[in-house]
Amino acid sequence: MIPKLDPAVIYETIVAVFLASWFLATVLCQFKETKISWFIRYKIDLFNLIPLWTFFAPHPGKRDYHLLFRDKVTEVDYSEWQEMEITEERTFWSWLWNPEKRDKKILSDVVQSLVASIPSYREKTGNLNLLMFSTPYIIVLHAVSLYQKRSQRCYRQFMLAESSGYQKETKPALILLSVFHQI
Amino acid sequence: MILFNDISQTVLLILSVGLLISTLEYLKKVQIFSPNGLLSWNVMQLKWTKQDQRSFLKPFFKLFNASGLTVLFLIRCLLIIGLFFFPLQSTTGWLLISLLGASLLVASLATYYGSDGSDQMSMLIIITLILCNLPVLASSNLRDIGLWFIALQACLSYTVAGIAKLVSSEWRSGTAIKDVFSTKTYGSKKATLFLKKYPAANRFLCWNVIIMESIFPLCLFLPWEFALVFLIWGFIFHFFTAVIMGLNSFFWAFMATYPAIYFVNHQMSWHLF
Repeated sequence: MIPKLDPAVIYETIVAVFLASWFLATVLCQFKETKISWFIRYKIDLFNLIPLWTFFAPHPGKRDYHLLFRDKVTEVDYSEWQEMEITEERTFWSWLWNPEKRDKKILSDVVQSLVASIPSYREKTGNLNLLMFSTPYIIVLHAVSLYQKRSQRCYRQFMLAESSGYQKETKPALILLSVFHQI
Repeated sequence: MILFNDISQTVLLILSVGLLISTLEYLKKVQIFSPNGLLSWNVMQLKWTKQDQRSFLKPFFKLFNASGLTVLFLIRCLLIIGLFFFPLQSTTGWLLISLLGASLLVASLATYYGSDGSDQMSMLIIITLILCNLPVLASSNLRDIGLWFIALQACLSYTVAGIAKLVSSEWRSGTAIKDVFSTKTYGSKKATLFLKKYPAANRFLCWNVIIMESIFPLCLFLPWEFALVFLIWGFIFHFFTAVIMGLNSFFWAFMATYPAIYFVNHQMSWHLF
């Protein structure tokens, strides 16, 4: 005789197995990128529920990113470089209330994503032309294209640079210089 | 009525404070989702060109503009406020947290860039509490399993962070914290000046973080009076990362896991000594 299954027990088992799988998937996705971690992160984890807990390691984020742009009005007329204001200093209350952190984190994520993809584009195609079709590149281009134009038909170029914040002894460095885009 | 002696409820209350602040911060910065913003859906939807074939996601895409997300964030604020009044184990409380979880999942599609580990920890806790407190079906045993999961994820997060720092030459040599603190993104001028004046503090802080994070899971196995040392360290650590680095949401998300750690520590049938 088959014993009557208790719905509460069935539910408990399902949830326990789900949580155990979630924990196992989290363990598998730490440190090195393996085939299985790649599959979990990019094919299954639609809602970004598998965290990467390596905060500020192994390479601590020791650079501030800067996004600058300029316009080409004619072949000889270029505007000055203008910086998008993102890394503004925090206030006294930032320990409790810090909405500005989102802008900085977005730019930091986008730039890191761009920087991380540069070697693979170089390896596959020998140049960075296809990088222009990547989402992070388009996000950056879209962000700079919204600033006021110097003329109706102008071409805009952007530059991603990094600096060492309050450590003035290290010079700012160029990460990426885009081509001129018609905007 | 809210009972503070219920561990799951305490986890939820601490997390709710952080989520309310985080949601209000998103409301303040909602323009980043406008057509002119950094996360304009006109651009962000490119990320979902393949996945959006999954038709169940498509209806939510209409929400991803400044006005749609303003409404979503306002509703989320109301849900969180409601959770301060309705216990998690009541049907109303469970419905509120389920809607909150749904709003977090939906918004995560638009906030792919810019979200951080605290958002993931918050989502992880909320989903666990939803699953483990389903009215009628959830048993007290399942609620315990949920708390174990939260505590183990918290311990895993500290250990992974500690080991990743241990294998890093920049952390071992004691330069990492000085370098991070000297950025305008995560640092502060005062902290940079302090670490310049007292270079020995760099090495001390780096190794303090490496050691305490790596051995954090011991807090599950040590007698409570010793385990408490880890939780007090964690409190101070997250408080100072909020003050110096502006990582305010991490404080609430990780403090919310501490009642679960307390629970697991007290459930352990044996301790190291």
